[in-house]
Amino acid sequence: MSLIKTVDEISSNPRNRKAWLALACVIFAVIIVIPAVYVIFSIPSNWSGIQDVLSDSAMMSIIWGAIWNSFSLAFIVTIIDIIVGLPMAWMLVRKSYRFGKYLDTFIDMPLAFPTVALGFSVIVFWGCPEGITVPGTGLVVDPYLMVILLHIIFTYPYMVRCLSGILEQIDTNYETAAMTLGASKWTAVRTITLPLFRAGLVTGFILCFARSLSETGGTYIVLRMMGATTLDVTGFFTGPTLISTIKDIPETDSMPVLILISSLLIVFALLMLFVAKAVMTRLRIPWRKVWPQFGRRVSGRKVAGTKDVLAFLFALIFVLLPSFYIFVCLGTEGTYSDYGGFLGAVGASFLVAGAATVFDVIFGVPVAMYIARNRGTKRAELLDNLVNVPLIIPTTALGVSLGLFWGQLGLSSMGMLLVIFGHISFTYPLLVRNLVGAIEEVDPSYEEIARTLGAKPFQAFRKVLLPMVKSSLLAGAVLAFTRSLGETGATQAIADVSTVPIYIVDLINANDYFGAAVSSVMLIAICFVFMFGLRIVISRMGGKD
Amino acid sequence: MPVIRMTDVCKRFGDAVAADRLNLEVEDGEYLCILGPTGAGKTTAMRMICGLTLPDSGTISFDGEDVTELETAKRGATMLSQQYSLFPHMSVMDNIMFGPMIKEWDPEDSKKIAANLLHMVHLESRSKERPTHLSGGQQQRVALARAMASGSRILLLDEPLRALDARLRLELRKDLKSMVKSMGLTAVHVTHDQDEALEMADRIAVIRNGRILQVGTPREVFDTPATPFVANFVGRSNVITGKVSSREGDTISVDCGPVTVTAMDPVHGIGDDVVVAVKIGNTRISKKEEGFFSGRIERILYEGVSITVEIAVEGLGLISSKLPNRKFDDYSEGDEVSVRWMPSAASVFDIPECGLEEELRVE
Amino acid sequence: MPKIKLEHVVMRFGTVTAARDINVTINSGEYVTILGPSGCGKTTLIKMISGILHPTEGRVLIDGADVTDVPIEDRDVGYVFQNIALFPHMDLKDNVGYGPRVRDMSREETDAVAEEYLSLVRMLDRSGYLPSELSGGEQQKVAIARALASGSKVIMLDEPLSALDARVRVELRYDIRRLVKKLGITVLHVTHDQEEAMSVSDRIILMRKGTIHETGTPLEIYRDPKSIFAAYFIGETNLIECTVVKRTKKGNTQVVLRDGSVTRVAGIRFEVGDPVVLSVRPEHVYTANDGIRAVVRDVVFMGTYWRVRTEADSQDLIDYNISADTDTPSKGDVVYLVFNKKAARLFARPIQGLQEEIVLE
Repeated sequence: MSLIKTVDEISSNPRNRKAWLALACVIFAVIIVIPAVYVIFSIPSNWSGIQDVLSDSAMMSIIWGAIWNSFSLAFIVTIIDIIVGLPMAWMLVRKSYRFGKYLDTFIDMPLAFPTVALGFSVIVFWGCPEGITVPGTGLVVDPYLMVILLHIIFTYPYMVRCLSGILEQIDTNYETAAMTLGASKWTAVRTITLPLFRAGLVTGFILCFARSLSETGGTYIVLRMMGATTLDVTGFFTGPTLISTIKDIPETDSMPVLILISSLLIVFALLMLFVAKAVMTRLRIPWRKVWPQFGRRVSGRKVAGTKDVLAFLFALIFVLLPSFYIFVCLGTEGTYSDYGGFLGAVGASFLVAGAATVFDVIFGVPVAMYIARNRGTKRAELLDNLVNVPLIIPTTALGVSLGLFWGQLGLSSMGMLLVIFGHISFTYPLLVRNLVGAIEEVDPSYEEIARTLGAKPFQAFRKVLLPMVKSSLLAGAVLAFTRSLGETGATQAIADVSTVPIYIVDLINANDYFGAAVSSVMLIAICFVFMFGLRIVISRMGGKD
Repeated sequence: MPVIRMTDVCKRFGDAVAADRLNLEVEDGEYLCILGPTGAGKTTAMRMICGLTLPDSGTISFDGEDVTELETAKRGATMLSQQYSLFPHMSVMDNIMFGPMIKEWDPEDSKKIAANLLHMVHLESRSKERPTHLSGGQQQRVALARAMASGSRILLLDEPLRALDARLRLELRKDLKSMVKSMGLTAVHVTHDQDEALEMADRIAVIRNGRILQVGTPREVFDTPATPFVANFVGRSNVITGKVSSREGDTISVDCGPVTVTAMDPVHGIGDDVVVAVKIGNTRISKKEEGFFSGRIERILYEGVSITVEIAVEGLGLISSKLPNRKFDDYSEGDEVSVRWMPSAASVFDIPECGLEEELRVE
Repeated sequence: MPKIKLEHVVMRFGTVTAARDINVTINSGEYVTILGPSGCGKTTLIKMISGILHPTEGRVLIDGADVTDVPIEDRDVGYVFQNIALFPHMDLKDNVGYGPRVRDMSREETDAVAEEYLSLVRMLDRSGYLPSELSGGEQQKVAIARALASGSKVIMLDEPLSALDARVRVELRYDIRRLVKKLGITVLHVTHDQEEAMSVSDRIILMRKGTIHETGTPLEIYRDPKSIFAAYFIGETNLIECTVVKRTKKGNTQVVLRDGSVTRVAGIRFEVGDPVVLSVRPEHVYTANDGIRAVVRDVVFMGTYWRVRTEADSQDLIDYNISADTDTPSKGDVVYLVFNKKAARLFARPIQGLQEEIVLE
């Protein structure tokens, strides 16, 4: 109690508040931003090794191939997400179907699935891999297509969330106004609502693109089980999976290759971020030209109904069914007994995820506060952009970079600590973004009134703002936690810490598919317990009002 | 000694000037209204008093003590905001108890204070409810009780009636002021509504573009406006321009193109270009007597306690006259009437530098 | 033929009835305001006329044709929103030209129409501006131009002035009325502001709790309200509970206040012994040498007149007005009040109590 009071007192001095913010920013820079891009600056000191790689044309063609695959995949996946996510978001926000509430929950579920489990589930559902006795559809044999199908599953929920968030904010009066002026529903939506949508599209695009670019574990499993992870012309790689494959080859000094791939991935990803922002903000949805007759025809109930059915079917067939297919594997014959190993991995995962989340909360809150309450100032915008940087960098490249940075400082023996740092990097933006959104929704006048009633800044924060955003803070923390729990690439790239996803990848590498399936399901169960716990807590909080 | 004194306070937001050498004094127990159009800087002035916005230069003092740098919590100036900002996660009672709780007063005493205030705002029966379950007027009363419970002597009201229905607003003007007065508070009330300011204020400060144009009692501001803007903003005025043509004692004749009008003015000399403003309520019309000029009635609006007659006058455009409602049956549209006013009811100004139209703009 | 007709219209939202058995006729070219406190169903009414809401029961007719099932875009009813809702990504010209454009007019025609209506609201010189670059009042003018430019002969104004400053409101309400009268447009204007309703309308429809409470011209409703609520809501009035004691030969009713003091009101609608409420507006209360004894509590400057607030011996609060250029009494003075007996009105005393009858929210 006295500690809190001391903080209350300290907070009343604006200089102390500035110092605290500065500290949070410094920690953010040192632990998150600088290590994330350090790999680029390590190129000169490793130049001779890199030169060897550059002259190895076989290797280079694999590298370029992998990077091309990564980016083209991410692009295709994101475009598909936009096309199919828009009608779904529309349905969730504007229509009041009775099953809407359940659909809302179901759409979020793949977010709670670790991607390794998803990868396993998808390959079993769409492909028909050897060594698995579960009947799959066997429809897909091309690794490129398979990876697209996988990535759609875990990016689709992001897109739907993002678009429905924006849609909820757009005043329906605009559309109604257009209709009272004689525009049909379709024309009104196309000329009024969609052009107001740009910001949401940019965010959704970047989120999905980054997530797809970054994913390692699930993709690796899919490719491994398709037998496509051989380092020659028959192999098929994405950037991150190439890094993990090379890292797994013992003995050789693979560092120069890793540095090269990571740097390329990071540079292209950052370029992509800027290009996407620039293009999307300049993108104009044409609203000047109208086709009234056509608009009228497609505004009918039948067309709208068909669109809803299609959106729902897509979600069912391409997202929900493949995700849950893994449970079928439990019905097959097989033995699994390494519960000790699994529990050990769970312990490691929880330690990493827990430590990262606690760090995120402590140092994310002041930064989020600053960004949300100083919108429009240059410093806040800069901070906002910086926070998003680790989000767009593929986590595997991030891991390589982090390992190098802390290794330089002589910390390479402290594997666990470095893994935690790595996980902080990519979970921090998730929490901060969530919180910034929530704080921006709260009118600053609440805190201001509290202060005119005699509350010190920290008291106003503690007694007024925090209770109003705590459900979002909690949601952000759980999001960060589950994301950390499911991460493969970064962990693999930093150190030999056997978290659950790594444990599962190892089982796959050892061809123990049944073991992998059981472990995946158990991991999913753990994640679900978390998500449900959150829903209960949040609904209790909401219930009071 | 004045309770609040602002001396040469300046504040800019980028290019926008929100306060331009603001000087204002508020006496103990006074109810002062800051009146002005949107974007005039009224809210900024109030936020600087309670410390939520810091001035670029100038000083603010309470009871002679400089508080310019003092943090909000320690100033003892409480704000009542436009949206009331009742804490949604607390009950009505907890909202009112917020100030005492933060200040760690004796819980028993605090409860007594809160109970008294709840009684005063007639909301005893709703003390356990969430503020979102209350109507707009009730929320406003809770916010008032919360502000009063904090023990501050200074109450700042930021358009406290704006969010309410017009009729309710009318009712609450009386209630709000009498409650503030009964607690002996010094109040600064920001509003864009001149009727509200006239009815509620002990003194009015008219503000525009970050400058205080005039401070005075409602009667002073209404009857002897300092600028053409004030004349037209606080109660509508007929505003015409012309040249002073002759003087007889304090009464001048002003040549306004096709017509000549008279006004009381000791300052301007013959040949000066001037603006003459007359409140529409002081503009008289007649069918029999002679006036300064005459015109044809375009429209008669029945507005309740008064009627507004719009007269088309050649060379001047529309001239309005506000009359008691009993005159409604005396005139009809199309009638020729003469227009005049008491010379003492007209105000005379120099031609404003920015042009008359710009000067009179109300938003 | 009436322009708009509502027949037995009912609107329910779940268990809440927002409009019950509404019957309204609006004539062509009429300016009608729908006035009432928040939540009385006034916005629901115009949303049903414009097709934004579909009534649960009843029929909506425009120009004699049943349009109950006609979708919004085919009704040709303009609508102006309280929050203005100009399309933020289009400049003023494109906003105003939106209606013509979606009706497939050519580019040239669209531009011509947009320019015509922008000039009507004196905003043509700003046609290339974005809505966010205008002040609130200017935006609302453009919104009205946009509604008119789509060719509608009927427009709904949904509290068009309530987001604006008080002074701008006064200016704009006269502008709007002038404009629509010039074009011969039929207008339904929703507002909670009785002063606004009085000064712009040909006719006021007073709504309360989902029903139409009273209809009439501003003059009729102000001078001769049919109910206590109308008397109280439209213009200010003193409401005094009293009892009828006598009906005089000259056709007056004598009533007694709570403290026994007596006053008279013209007309003999009530029997001796009836509990009644006397309504008299402040401008119809005068001071005299004899009358109802009251103590001055406050004197307030209202611009063109002084408002004197008094408390009578019967504990009724009675306000009266005196001209701004006369001397005012001071707080604590005793005054004797008489009423203009022709302007005062008597109503039956409501069973549920006077306060409940006039509750505003």
